[in-house]
Amino acid sequence: MTDAVVIVLREVLEAMLLICMLMASSTAMGYRFRWLGLALLLGVCGATIYALGLERISMSFDGFGQEIVNATLLIAIAVLLAGHNYLAVKQLTDFSYRIPYGLLLLVFVGTVSMAMTREGAEIYLYGYSYGVLAGNKSSVFSGGAIGVGIGLSVGTFFYYGLKSLPRNKRLITCCVVSLVLAAGMMGQAALFLSQADLLPSPQPLWDTSNIFTEASLVGELLHAAVGYEASPSLTQVLLYLGSIFTSLAAMFAAWVLSRKPVNVALGESQ
Amino acid sequence: MKMGTIFTVVRRYFGRLCYFLFLSIAASAASAQTPIFEIEIREHLFFPAEIEIPANQKVKLIIYNHDATPEEFESYELNREKVIVGNSQGVVFIGPLKPGEYPFFGEFNLKTALGKIIVK
Repeated sequence: MTDAVVIVLREVLEAMLLICMLMASSTAMGYRFRWLGLALLLGVCGATIYALGLERISMSFDGFGQEIVNATLLIAIAVLLAGHNYLAVKQLTDFSYRIPYGLLLLVFVGTVSMAMTREGAEIYLYGYSYGVLAGNKSSVFSGGAIGVGIGLSVGTFFYYGLKSLPRNKRLITCCVVSLVLAAGMMGQAALFLSQADLLPSPQPLWDTSNIFTEASLVGELLHAAVGYEASPSLTQVLLYLGSIFTSLAAMFAAWVLSRKPVNVALGESQ
Repeated sequence: MKMGTIFTVVRRYFGRLCYFLFLSIAASAASAQTPIFEIEIREHLFFPAEIEIPANQKVKLIIYNHDATPEEFESYELNREKVIVGNSQGVVFIGPLKPGEYPFFGEFNLKTALGKIIVK
């Protein structure tokens, strides 16, 4: 049963942080959680399709279909999270600005459903083969429920923490969280691309496993939150930094674009 | 005049171009010789549980899953994770690695499916 708790919690944690950050952000943008229902629905569908098609996907691309799909999903999420930061900064610099609902749906639903597709497929595979097929339902599903429960409580805590902040600070904090989550995802994408030999896999730059092993609880939490790797390669570090740079560039672009009309307006009034 | 300069430039760099071509062909030939190692999964255990691979060289690892259940080959030390569906196989590239021990595990059977790669 503890196996099930750990497996499910590991998968749920990252998606939960992402969902709760976006929920807090959407309150600051003046939108309710109607996008969440669609995102969860698409996420569950995506996970099921991915899990059922995994065998075929794995065999495609010379046996590296899984790596390519995972890396594509992770990179797409990171790009959408940079888009989120763009929107958030636009909102911050101009409070009268109302983000078009379609754009918000695209970014929020896209991010959550793709994250759930990836994480959910593993839970589905595990639950179905070790719970249903192996006739081990009670222990696998109760363990899974505990895992989801722990994930939900961490998420709730995180959400209310963010929501207690005033609107401006909440948006800024969400931007920071989104920046770091996206960087962690790009780091993971690097791992998959190296695994498939599409990117080089040089020797690790450093090793901090004597401080936090990735298998420890703190290590797992750090991995979910900031993409912690005890011994990352140069490829991983470069993509991690590249993602941070892209996100910052998106935020800077939003700031520059929103400031111009304000300056003009000020110049005219003086 | 112009044709002449182009000709001298081509002649000057032709040797270098050939050299680089030769190097890249040699490199791709070397990568074609990536050593292959195999691991089998039976009854949620890895066979062999310990594998020795050469240091500072890229290695292709083929994992055969003979169980009906899926397994996820995972290693924090190797930075690798891959789901291998029941009765199928998966390929993972690892390395080049420094000498040492790199444990791996099956995520779906955390307590039993354990192994390590020894790099020498």
